[in-house]
Amino acid sequence: MNAWLAAAAVVVATLLPVGIFSFRGPMFDRVVGLELASVLGTLALVLLAEGFDRDIYFDLAVVFAVASFAGTLAFVRFLERWL
Amino acid sequence: MTAQSVVVDVLLAAGVALAVAGSVGVLLMASPLDRLHYVTPVSVVSAVVVAAAVVVKESFDARGLKAILVAVTLLFLGPVLTQATARAARVEQHGDWRLEAGEKRRGRR
Repeated sequence: MNAWLAAAAVVVATLLPVGIFSFRGPMFDRVVGLELASVLGTLALVLLAEGFDRDIYFDLAVVFAVASFAGTLAFVRFLERWL
Repeated sequence: MTAQSVVVDVLLAAGVALAVAGSVGVLLMASPLDRLHYVTPVSVVSAVVVAAAVVVKESFDARGLKAILVAVTLLFLGPVLTQATARAARVEQHGDWRLEAGEKRRGRR
């Protein structure tokens, strides 16, 4: 295991409590958890791409960063307007 | 161990430590607005530091440029999302994001 994969393992391990946090508690606490999980997921994909020496995984990280932003923003706007 | 690998390891350690610290902060704080303060450093600083580690190792080839693209995406979109979330939380608590009559801004004396 190289340093990149070790770093990815720590970030993925951090995702677990944040994921559990996103399933419990008040509504906006969950949104914050989702927002943090999106960032951590993007970082984990970058670290895994470098750790496994695969160029194509970087594309996944780029797409995930943009798509998670759009999804979370739509979710937040929905909560603000209709709930 | 070369100087390049030492720099990469230091940058990786800093980025991951900041991500873990931000996660702990989010888990420990009491309100959504307080929690949001710990999300932005992860999306801004951690992403830039990890991208810097990739660039130090790979230089400005396809991987380095894609890592920079990810960092720039998180750098600009993260604060936008944080602001939108804070605004929505404020609207949920008070019905409007603007200051109410007689209310003072937090952090101002």
